[in-house]
Amino acid sequence: MNIHMRQAVVSLAGAAILMLTGAGLAVAHHSTAPLGTTIHKTITCTLKQVDWTNPHTWVWVEVPNEQGGVDTWGFEGMSPNYLARRGWTKSTLKPGDKISVLMRPLRDGSKGGMFVSATRPNGQVLRMNGEPSEP
Amino acid sequence: MRSRRNILLRFGLVVLASAAIASVAVAQNPTRRAPAAADWAALAKLPDFTGVWEVPLGGAAGASRGLAPNSGPSLTPEYAAKRDALRASGREDNETANCLPPGMPGIMGQPYPMEFLVTPGKVTIVIEAYTQVRHIYTDDRSLPEDPDPRFHGTSVGRWDGDTLVVETVGFSPLTQLDRGVPHSDKMRILERFRLTEPDTMSIETTIIDPEALTAPYKTNRILKRHRNWAIAEYICEENNRNFVDQSGKAGVILNNPGGYPQKKD
Repeated sequence: MNIHMRQAVVSLAGAAILMLTGAGLAVAHHSTAPLGTTIHKTITCTLKQVDWTNPHTWVWVEVPNEQGGVDTWGFEGMSPNYLARRGWTKSTLKPGDKISVLMRPLRDGSKGGMFVSATRPNGQVLRMNGEPSEP
Repeated sequence: MRSRRNILLRFGLVVLASAAIASVAVAQNPTRRAPAAADWAALAKLPDFTGVWEVPLGGAAGASRGLAPNSGPSLTPEYAAKRDALRASGREDNETANCLPPGMPGIMGQPYPMEFLVTPGKVTIVIEAYTQVRHIYTDDRSLPEDPDPRFHGTSVGRWDGDTLVVETVGFSPLTQLDRGVPHSDKMRILERFRLTEPDTMSIETTIIDPEALTAPYKTNRILKRHRNWAIAEYICEENNRNFVDQSGKAGVILNNPGGYPQKKD
């Protein structure tokens, strides 16, 4: 396999993953219009609070800014109903947790987006999609 | 003689009026006898619909969730024009973003489970999404001739062997025949619920609408039973940060993080 082929395979795999995560995060009660694009970004942050609420969970984090302070960002996640059936609890993510969040940013540039996954410093990845954990 | 005729006339009017009131009362609120032990025992002979069911969520999305592939509803020119006008309006979302429940038939395709309760004379479907309930009366009552418009319509059902056959009429104009497709007040929905395996349910849905459709629109949906699941709470207004405004623009509210989102004017 030459380099071009390998790159093609890698980008194809990346596209497939994006498509899968996009489909897995399809939401019940609203469109993805506020996101506008399929761009994914990673943001390194400290967890401030999780709203374990319907119709969506919200993951609030603090992100260091250029002024030496922090900005609060909010990421919309799947509902607690959906997540609880896939192994999550309201304290899977705790205030103070250091995480990097893969997210789809809001099209208007405000400090928020849709949560795709979080990665802990030890490499553990927390996804919001997947098969139910109980029969 | 004249007064006697008057009395008879008045008596007749009272009888007629009473009969009219009685028939209205019967139509709106049929007298039901209390279920007897035999009625409860008879339920054991029906297929076991109890428990929590969900359309497997892999990949499918939106109102078409769980539907077998189909070519979509075949619309009359009038309703095709209405659908096209809605599409062309550029609305980015529908009112469910503001927590308005979709109603029938969309409520049956949500990515959340539903529980079936079978009691004498009634099947109740408890739907987790938007905390909704469908009431299906199986006590031989008839459908109303002039039903009020409702999100879930008015439903009656009967058991055809092992199949629960449900007919529903009278839908709110805020519900849609299919995603982005309005319906007329003539829409009727027929559903056939049956177990195809011990923990697999098939729901065949036929939508009839002589004003909107050129042919009945048939779809089929397969649900799986989850014996260990319970229906969870779903209060859509608890923390709804999504909205669609009057112009059809969709957005997200980020104010008051961790608290109740403050809606914009």
